[in-house]
Amino acid sequence: MSGKGRWLAGYAWLVYAFLYAPIAILIVFSFNRATQTAVWEGGTLDWYRNLAHNDLILASVKNSLIVGVVSTAIATVFGTLVALALGRYEFKGSGFTKSLLYLPIIIPEIVIGAALVTFFGAVALHLSLWTVVLAHVVFSVSYVAIVVRARLSGFDRSLEEAALDLGARPVQTFWRVTLPLIAPGIVAGALLCFTISIDDYVITSFVAGVGATTLPLQIYSMLKVGVTPEVNAVSTLLLAVTVVLIVIAQRLQQPPGERGETS
Amino acid sequence: MSVVAAAGCGPGRDEPPYPGPGEKKLNVYIWSEYLPREVIDEFKRRTGIEVHYDLYDSNEPVLEKLQSGVADYDLVVPSDYMVRILVHLKLLRPLDRGKLKNFGNLDPRFLDRQFDPRNAYSLPYVWGTTGYGFNRDRAGRSPDTWAPLFDPANKGQILMLDDMRECFAAALKFQGQSLNSTDPGVLKRAADLLKKQKDLVKTYNSGDYENILAAGDVSYAHGYNGQLAKLAAKEPRKFGFVLPKEGATFWMDSVCIPARARNIEAIYAFLDFILEPEVSAKIVNGISYASANVPARKFIRPEILNDPAIYPSEEALAKCEFIEDIGEATSILDEYWTEIKAQ
Amino acid sequence: MKRGAPGRAAYLLVLPTWATLGVFFLLPLGILFLVSFGQRATYGGLKPIEDLGLYISSGKFLANYARSFHPIYLQICWRSIWMATVTTVLCLAMSYPIAYYIAVKAPAGRRNLLLGLVVVPFWTSFLIRTYAWMFLLRTEGLVNRALLGAGLVAHPVELLYNNFAVLIGLVYGELPFMILPLFASLEKLDLSLLEASQDLGAGRASTFRRVTVPLTMPGIVAGVILVFVPSLGQFIVSDLLGGAKTILAGNLIQNQFAVARNKPFGAAVAFELTAAVLALLFAYTLYTKRKGQDVLL
Repeated sequence: MSGKGRWLAGYAWLVYAFLYAPIAILIVFSFNRATQTAVWEGGTLDWYRNLAHNDLILASVKNSLIVGVVSTAIATVFGTLVALALGRYEFKGSGFTKSLLYLPIIIPEIVIGAALVTFFGAVALHLSLWTVVLAHVVFSVSYVAIVVRARLSGFDRSLEEAALDLGARPVQTFWRVTLPLIAPGIVAGALLCFTISIDDYVITSFVAGVGATTLPLQIYSMLKVGVTPEVNAVSTLLLAVTVVLIVIAQRLQQPPGERGETS
Repeated sequence: MSVVAAAGCGPGRDEPPYPGPGEKKLNVYIWSEYLPREVIDEFKRRTGIEVHYDLYDSNEPVLEKLQSGVADYDLVVPSDYMVRILVHLKLLRPLDRGKLKNFGNLDPRFLDRQFDPRNAYSLPYVWGTTGYGFNRDRAGRSPDTWAPLFDPANKGQILMLDDMRECFAAALKFQGQSLNSTDPGVLKRAADLLKKQKDLVKTYNSGDYENILAAGDVSYAHGYNGQLAKLAAKEPRKFGFVLPKEGATFWMDSVCIPARARNIEAIYAFLDFILEPEVSAKIVNGISYASANVPARKFIRPEILNDPAIYPSEEALAKCEFIEDIGEATSILDEYWTEIKAQ
Repeated sequence: MKRGAPGRAAYLLVLPTWATLGVFFLLPLGILFLVSFGQRATYGGLKPIEDLGLYISSGKFLANYARSFHPIYLQICWRSIWMATVTTVLCLAMSYPIAYYIAVKAPAGRRNLLLGLVVVPFWTSFLIRTYAWMFLLRTEGLVNRALLGAGLVAHPVELLYNNFAVLIGLVYGELPFMILPLFASLEKLDLSLLEASQDLGAGRASTFRRVTVPLTMPGIVAGVILVFVPSLGQFIVSDLLGGAKTILAGNLIQNQFAVARNKPFGAAVAFELTAAVLALLFAYTLYTKRKGQDVLL
């Protein structure tokens, strides 16, 4: 690598260190004997053992994952479609659409949460896990739309036109030319979506129904009686599983023959 | 036994209970850890009813959800001032004393409070006080008043709850006033004291105060008694808890039935169950907050029963008051609070 | 480049979003908007209005909006804007190089992995992460111990319960929202353009300023919006790491809804914030449209 490349890589490592510094602490404290989160008192695996029996935390993890995956899937599709519309067509109502998309980012969460629960009451829509999914879709679409739209800016239509000239149908063109080209934007948007959803507390607390307690609700609720390192344990486990999944996904993505190569 | 509230009721419409033989379930909306696993399991063993609970960490979602009418909870456990609001907004179902044979176990001193006269709607669940914890090494003599929290000599060593009413309560009590005062002059003097105090405060925090004290960031931590008592019990040589003698806040979490709850038989079965002495004791032993159940004392762990931080003496309690809703004056306090925080 | 004729395709594409957000976002907010013209009742909730005509003609219905122009609230507003701006600038400065690295310099096969590793820390609980920062930054925390041990300072530095800690917390929390949009834009950067610029004699700095930045402007703008705007409504970080000693716009609104139970006033402040930001965004859109660029939504 060139000199500049080395600096850049070094800088990237620093940023990753910054990103993971508190995570390292979090992981270490999951082995803390003390229940206080501020003082270290020796190592133990007890919290992990407790986790296996703690049905409530496990149920809330499951809820969080369901909400996260479903709302991300829906929001990513909707957001991508909107971005395509805004990026390619002039249409009446594009101004309205843009304002509509900015609103969920601007308006504070407690306002959205309070408005939503009042609305659900007015239309007699009973609270449940699905009202949570709905709420998460509502505030996530914007993020996907903005990121994908940024990707679309300056999009070179000639590739699509070439495909169409060569006889591909519009849907085929979209699937095999357009989509791969905007894929990094879609992936980035989806990652942001999931990140927001998995840790959302305020809005979720207002719209969650019976049996819909998610992990953040669980954790914040423990503040009244004292947060224990069980929370660190569950976070660490989730982290470990996620990293493993990402590494596997990456290995699977590399076409055969390129494994072990760097470009 | 009837089951979880029927779906699809519009506000104000009545529907017959949802039939469901063999489905026995109770939905409770409650603070985390307030229901030990063994209590739920025991109840299921006895009655076959499964208690499911969802958690919240503040009273606001309770109010919003009950107002919306679309949250299907059979029981909620709000704080004292919230009970009054819920009663006023007609969101609670009156209690049928006749169905509670264990009601007599409750200590009359904790009944008939201003937020729910004659306990028409609520039963005391747990109660506590708000005082402060202190670091013995740094505090010198054992303090017994609010003074250290307002003393310039302790600059940068103080933590206050990030709670408007609690901070005003401390200031008002320190100044010898009622913490529910609505007198404009009295409130202004309290606000001025809090403005002066802000400079001395290292942090305002309502969730983590015992950890911040334990970590040594502050020497005095304003906070609720349960968590601070646990810290003091664990390291008595290093930390202590004070219920100041000028008086302090007395708080209570009560269990209530939402107006739209349906599973009435199951609800009363559960209420009567938690009024039993041994069950109440299990709850107390689990979370280190006191209950109002008199016969339960036999079963409470002695370290808890004899801890003045959890079960204070009569005279210490005599000067304590509940935080009550003060109506219009809430807006005045809110303006002061904004000024205090904004300076 | 946009096609001229809209065709029905556009409407089909936006329909799902219009439907979902229209019903489950605009309607609820519309109700709240009406509430913002009301007055708080004794127990929270709304005071019933006796004479609607009089209420409107006397201007009373604007009471909440009028109140929010009180100096103390403007001061809060200003502080929030300042905090959000500093956060955004720092975030952008920190994020651009690493986004560049991942998008351009890193081995192609590793890109998604590196990107994933950026967000994964934020799939842990925010509360525990923040506690971890407090552990690092407090007077007897790790950072101070390291500084003292290395002899860089003689006394522990106050790193917690102040603006420094708040900025660290805010920038930290917003990094993914800057890195990911930047990545999306940088990833399609055509390197041959950069080479061409340098072949034509431009230095590295010049190439960066006049080729790279303009080409990645959509990503930059997207990142700035996704960081700046939510930062305006921030309050939890400043409460935990800053010691809750300042009141920002987010705290103000939160207090109105939660503690003061004055929904009308809280709603009014929230809608003013909204109007201001929308105005800003559309001013920027007009500005870039005039210059022929097309970088916002």
